[in-house]
Amino acid sequence: MPYQQPVILNRTGKDTMNVDDVENPEVEVSESEFESEDEDVKLEEPSKTSIYNADGLLDKLDDISWPQNVEWIHKLSLDINQEQKVDVNDDLARELAFYTQALEGTRQAFVKFQSMQLPFLRPSDYYAEMVKSDSHMVKVKGRLLAEKRRIEEADERRKARESKKIAKEVQAQKLKERAKNKKDEIESVKKWRKQRQQSGFAGGDKDGEMGLTFEDGKSFEKSNKKRPGVAPFDRTGGKGGRGGAGKGKRGGAAGGKRKGKDFKDSKFGFGGRKGMKKQNTAETTNDFRSFNKGEFSGNKKRKRNSQLLLWKVAGWRPPVVRYDGLDLATAVSSSGLQIVE
Amino acid sequence: MGGKKRKHSEAEVAAPVKNDEGPPERPKRTLLGWKDKVEKEKETDSKPGFRNKEKVLVTCSRRISYRYRHLMMNMVSLLPHCKKDNKVESKESKGATLNELVELKSCSSCLFFECRKQKDLYLWMAKCPNGPSVKFLVNAVHTMEELKLTGNHLKGSRPILTFSNNFDKPHWKLLKEIIMQIFGVPKDHRKSKPYHDHVFVFSIVDDHIWFRNYQISAPHSEMDKVDRGGLDKMTLIEVGPRFCLNPIKIFGGSFGGPTLYENPFYVSPNQIRALEKRQKAGKYAKKVKAKKRRKMHELSNPLEPDEFADMWKNDD
Repeated sequence: MPYQQPVILNRTGKDTMNVDDVENPEVEVSESEFESEDEDVKLEEPSKTSIYNADGLLDKLDDISWPQNVEWIHKLSLDINQEQKVDVNDDLARELAFYTQALEGTRQAFVKFQSMQLPFLRPSDYYAEMVKSDSHMVKVKGRLLAEKRRIEEADERRKARESKKIAKEVQAQKLKERAKNKKDEIESVKKWRKQRQQSGFAGGDKDGEMGLTFEDGKSFEKSNKKRPGVAPFDRTGGKGGRGGAGKGKRGGAAGGKRKGKDFKDSKFGFGGRKGMKKQNTAETTNDFRSFNKGEFSGNKKRKRNSQLLLWKVAGWRPPVVRYDGLDLATAVSSSGLQIVE
Repeated sequence: MGGKKRKHSEAEVAAPVKNDEGPPERPKRTLLGWKDKVEKEKETDSKPGFRNKEKVLVTCSRRISYRYRHLMMNMVSLLPHCKKDNKVESKESKGATLNELVELKSCSSCLFFECRKQKDLYLWMAKCPNGPSVKFLVNAVHTMEELKLTGNHLKGSRPILTFSNNFDKPHWKLLKEIIMQIFGVPKDHRKSKPYHDHVFVFSIVDDHIWFRNYQISAPHSEMDKVDRGGLDKMTLIEVGPRFCLNPIKIFGGSFGGPTLYENPFYVSPNQIRALEKRQKAGKYAKKVKAKKRRKMHELSNPLEPDEFADMWKNDD
C-alpha cells in the first residue's frame, strides 16, 4: 500500500482530541496558518480507538455486490491506473489527473462500445432535455463571450499604450529635428550677415532683402495667421505702407521708430489703394461671425416657439392675472389689471 | 419495426421468461441484421437473469443551505433512477425515519444530505434494506450552476464510471461497490437515454474521494461515424458538480448498526474550529508569558558593566 501514507497537515492534531494541551504553545503558533485555509485537517497518526473490521467489510461487500459475471454494460465502470501520486494542494496537477483519468476511461469505454456495436455518443440530430437548461447555457455563453471581449479589450489597451509610447518618441524626434532646423536657419542667416559684412554691403539693401526672401521657397506660401495691423484686404503682405512709394528703406538705426509709424500707416491707411478697403475679400464674405448675433440666433428649439421669444424681447406679458389672496381690491387698484375668474 | 419489437419484449420482462430479458433489446434496435445474432448469443450466455433495479432516494435535512441544496438538485438531475423526497429532520431518530421512508418509496438505496450548523455537509450513502451505510464529510463543493463549468450533456444518459485504481483496501472496495450501484444508471431504465455522453470520475487522492463529471465531446463530423481518428480528437468539458468526500464511518446496517470502519485520521470540523478559536484566544497569555520569560532571562544573565559608560561624563 504505497498510497496510504497520509499527508500531515496538522502536527498538533493529536492533541486536539484531548483538550488539555496548553503545554506547548509554540508549535501551535507555527501551525496556525496552515489551518486557517485548510478544511480537511488530519490527525498526524491514526487514532488508536478507530475501528477497522475488514472481515465485516468484505462480508458486506459480498452481500451487496452484483453477481460476478454481470456484463460490463450494466456497470459501465472502469478502473483507471493513476500513473503517479497526485499532490492534492496543486490544483492544476490534481485536475489534470482527474481529466486524464476520465479521458482514459472514455477511450476504453469507446473501444468496448465499438466492439459491442453499440451507440456511444449522441448523434448531432438527437435533441432531448439536457441537464443544464438553455437559459443557463446562454448565461455560460455570455460569460465566455464577455471574457473573450475582456481579453481583446485588454489587448487593445496594451497596444494603444505601446503605440503611444512610440508616438511620444516620434514626437520627441520631430521636436529635435525642428529645433535643429531652426538652429540651422539662424546659423545660415548669421553666415549670410557675415558674408555681407565682409563684402562691405556690396549688394545693397534691396538685393539683401531679395536674397533673404528667396532663400527658402516657402516665403510665398500664405500663412494662416492673422497679422497684426494688416487689413484683411491687404494683399501686399503688410508692406503696403513701406514698399509702395519706394521712399522708405531706412537704416537700421531708425528702425525702432519706423516700426511704429509703419504700423500706424498700415492700420489707418497711409499709402496703398484706399478703395480696396471697402471691398469684400474671400475671407470677409465667408465670415459669419458677426452675423445673426441677436436673440433670434440659436438652436431650432428656441426658434420654434418664436411667439414666446417675441414676448421676451418686447418685455410684454398677457395682461390677465389671477389672484387668490384676500386683498383683491388693493391688488386690482394698484396694478390696474382686470380680473378673470 | 424496432419499436414494435421492443415493446413486445418489454412486456415479456414482467413474465417469468428468464433467458430473453432486457439486455438483448438494445442491440436489436440499433444494429444491422447480420451482426445481430452474434451479439445476442454473447449476451445471453453470460448472465441472462440479471437486471439492475436500483432506485435511489435523494433527500436532505432541514435547514440545509442553498448551496448544498443546489448540489442535491444537481445529483437529482444526474440520476434518472432517483426519487426526491421532502426534507427530513436531522435528529437522533432520523435513521429509523429514513429507513421507513426508503421502504415507503420502494427504493433500494439512499443519498441523504445532512447539513449541520449551516456550514458542514455530511453525505450518507446507504444500501437500504440491510446495510451497509457510509457517512462522508463533503468538502470543496461546486455546483453545476457555476458558470465556469461550461459543459452540458443529456439528462438521464448513462454515465461511464471511472475509478482510480487505488480502491484496493477492503473499505475502499466496499465504497466503490456502493458508489457504483448508486451512481450507475440502470441499463434500460425508462428515463435513461440510449447514448453515453458523460463520464464520472471517482478518484482517491489524499484519502478523499473526489468526484468530477465531464461531458464527452467530439467534433461534429466525427460524431456520426466515430473511428480511430475521432478517438484522438475526443475532448472532455467539465459539467459539474464537484465535490470531495471524506469517509467518516461505515456502518453495517442502513443508517445505523455496527461500525465496520472508522476513519482514523478524521477530525470533525467542529474540533477544527474549536482549535482555531483556542489558538486565537491564547494571545494575551502568550504575551504575558513571553514577557516573564524575558525578565527571567535578563535576571539570570546580567549585563557586564560597560567600560565606556561614563566616558563622556568625565569630559564635561
